[in-house]
Amino acid sequence: MLRPRYNPRKQMIFVRRFLIALAVAWLGVGSAHADAVADREQRVADLAKRIAALSGPGLTKLTIRNLSSLSAEELPDIRKMLERDLRSYGVRVSDADGATAIRVTLSENAAGGLWIAEVQEGTEVRVTMISVLLGPATHTQTEAGITLRKSHVWEQTEPVLDTMTEQLGDSRRMLVLEPQRIVSYTMAAGTWSKEQEFAITHGRPFPRDMRGRLLEGQGHLFDAYLPGVLCVGAGNDQLLSVSCTDSDDPWPLSVTPNTATQKAFYNATRNYFTGVLAPGFGMVLQPFYGSTVIPRANGVAMLFNGIDGKVVMMENNTVKAVAGARDWGSDLAAIHSGCGSGTQVLASGSGVAPMDSVRAYEIPGHEAEPVSAPLALDGTVTALWPSADGTNATLVVQSGTTGQGKHYEVYRVSALCY
Amino acid sequence: MFRRFVISGVLLWCALGASARTRQHYGGTLRVEVQSDPWQEPDGIARRLTMDGLTQIDSAGAVQPALSVRWESQNDDHRWQFWIRNNVQFHDGTPLTADALAASLTQACRYGCAWSKVYTLGQSVVFTSDLPIPDLPAQLAQAKFLISHQDSQGAQQGTGPFFIAGFPGGVMLFTANNDHWGGRPFVDTVEVWPRRSIRDQWMDMSVGRTDVVEVPAEMLRQAPQQHLTVLASRPENLLLLQIASTGSLANPQLRQAIALAVDRSALYNVIFQKQGEITASILPGALTGYAFLFSPERHLNRAHELRSGATPPQLSLAVEGGNPAMQLSAERIVLNLREAGFQVQMAPAGGKIQPDIVLRQIHLETTDPRAALDEMVEATGQRVSINGSDMASIYRAEKEFLATYTVVPLLWLPQAYAIGDRVRDLRFAADGSLLIADAAIEDAK
Repeated sequence: MLRPRYNPRKQMIFVRRFLIALAVAWLGVGSAHADAVADREQRVADLAKRIAALSGPGLTKLTIRNLSSLSAEELPDIRKMLERDLRSYGVRVSDADGATAIRVTLSENAAGGLWIAEVQEGTEVRVTMISVLLGPATHTQTEAGITLRKSHVWEQTEPVLDTMTEQLGDSRRMLVLEPQRIVSYTMAAGTWSKEQEFAITHGRPFPRDMRGRLLEGQGHLFDAYLPGVLCVGAGNDQLLSVSCTDSDDPWPLSVTPNTATQKAFYNATRNYFTGVLAPGFGMVLQPFYGSTVIPRANGVAMLFNGIDGKVVMMENNTVKAVAGARDWGSDLAAIHSGCGSGTQVLASGSGVAPMDSVRAYEIPGHEAEPVSAPLALDGTVTALWPSADGTNATLVVQSGTTGQGKHYEVYRVSALCY
Repeated sequence: MFRRFVISGVLLWCALGASARTRQHYGGTLRVEVQSDPWQEPDGIARRLTMDGLTQIDSAGAVQPALSVRWESQNDDHRWQFWIRNNVQFHDGTPLTADALAASLTQACRYGCAWSKVYTLGQSVVFTSDLPIPDLPAQLAQAKFLISHQDSQGAQQGTGPFFIAGFPGGVMLFTANNDHWGGRPFVDTVEVWPRRSIRDQWMDMSVGRTDVVEVPAEMLRQAPQQHLTVLASRPENLLLLQIASTGSLANPQLRQAIALAVDRSALYNVIFQKQGEITASILPGALTGYAFLFSPERHLNRAHELRSGATPPQLSLAVEGGNPAMQLSAERIVLNLREAGFQVQMAPAGGKIQPDIVLRQIHLETTDPRAALDEMVEATGQRVSINGSDMASIYRAEKEFLATYTVVPLLWLPQAYAIGDRVRDLRFAADGSLLIADAAIEDAK
């Protein structure tokens, strides 16, 4: 028999946060859905008006067919609305043969929905059409030891390299680092509003697989590291200023409190670090895509995922290979969750696939052990950086197939214990 | 049919949208084999490797900056100004200037283009036209407007992601441009083997001697049986009949009779092995959403009615391009027309006598519906006037154009390549060009 017990605090907090996140997500989707529905009613009215202009008042025979991604369940409502709107123009729908035939086709093209009406009187067919918004698709995601949770932060069609948020009194500010600009947003009435935008000037072309990182500045607001460029952001609650210069300064790898900042040089024309560290510890590493710091019994160790696909750990000035990391992709970040050993390494998946995932690992010795189920993503990971306080990570996922256009979603990934 | 088109389109695009989880490696040589001349205008593979346009089409079909960084429309789209990207050089080291751009565009325009004048204004080029050209940025992304200049030896120099490195043993060698404004390509070298037959290409692929080979639409079904991994685009090559509006076929009723006599289903089912889409529209349904309004059905009786009383002399039908599938298609169309009472003979390709009917394939680059209609109609040597920018205006303009029966759209066909195991992230741009600069070799370090 189970003994009665209090609900653990963390779980209660989780449940509350989960419900809030769910409500926010629902409201977001709900709002977009409401827009689509409102647009649809208006467009049905517009279509009815155009049909009436072609057919004139009288009896008509109406057929509707769907060649678009609208579900079959939506058709009766559309038909009902159309019949109602047609009636207001004196066009009455009947099954009688000999009446004017109206064939409405719910079609779609690259830009969205296209509703086409063909009005046939005798052998003459006249055509009218209107463009329509299509409702948003909804996505579900399942989670499974330690559970990884992603909370939506931001999304846009332009590539995102990193984001950073800061508290501004009662409000908040978010910085979004893109390949060609830095954009600041402030939170007002629950929504982000664009505040300022700064072009990133650079003398050399950027690489194709563009990467960049936003970090809190020392004595100023932030630093943005990009290949061959360093941007420094300063300002106050009101206005920001950003200045960018061509720079080969090494990028900070770790911002862990109480440890010296480890830096590494980034190859300005490629998508990886050169393998030269600052300070250098007197050793040369293979070029690597990413690095993170994890606490060990006798201090800290650094993990590097090399461009050769091997993951190595540097501890006490020695470098050893990490086993069990064959499934790791190019991006990794350590988070201090308080679960399990206290720190987990998040790693993206390896290989080439349309859908990616992020999974949490612990490395007790020199072998990586998965401690969570993979967190499935609706796209591929383009960036994974630890947050400033190290409790979570910023994840950027690129979704959308070639034909639909790319879409970048930013998530905060954290680990939940249970 | 439309649904099948959408489903097949989605499948293809899903395949094309497959992107990498592990970051791309730099280095290695990508080997590509083609049947045609890689420098063939307008869209030979070598041109896209070595040249850039003023604008480019992204994977979603949107117009994006390339050699121009921004543009502005003035005077109701009668005047356009494009500002050029700084610090770009042609491969011979000559800086890209507004003058060089204007000269290149004027040269490209020798067979006609949408604007009446192009001139420079500081670091910008200005286009003016008597008619509004709302889709000019999309038009400028087309391969025929790729920018180049002639060096002192008379060779064409571009600003593209690859340099021409030489032609050892008939192989065209291209090396990565480290200073390309769009970033250095991932591969170090691209080898293009020109004028290789499909049989030789597939043989080389089967023994791992090449990385990219062509797959004609009619062989798309065969490729997986040969264990080839296929990358197919959405349907973007239009198979059509172009009918002369003068001479024997000056009477539009006769041209309409030809249009109604053609059996598209036979071409689709038998010759092209159910690849692509049957169409009677000059624009793909996925682009406009209204293609079904143009019926592709065969109406032999109606064709007879239209022809009766007007028996033309013997007609000639020629094939442009002349690959086996096109030849077979032409032979079948000749049979269709004979069934409708026409006397038709196949004419030799490139003959001295102008044929009455030509079977052609036209490649569609643009993804903006209005610019696409302009592009396709222009490819047939004609002009169309579109009054308005909404879909209904485009439909009306297309309907009016097709009602002349000088062009009979038959099938939309995809473009396809077979890709070797070590190639990753090779994709099509929305305009149907291969994005080789974004491709990487898996075993490169």
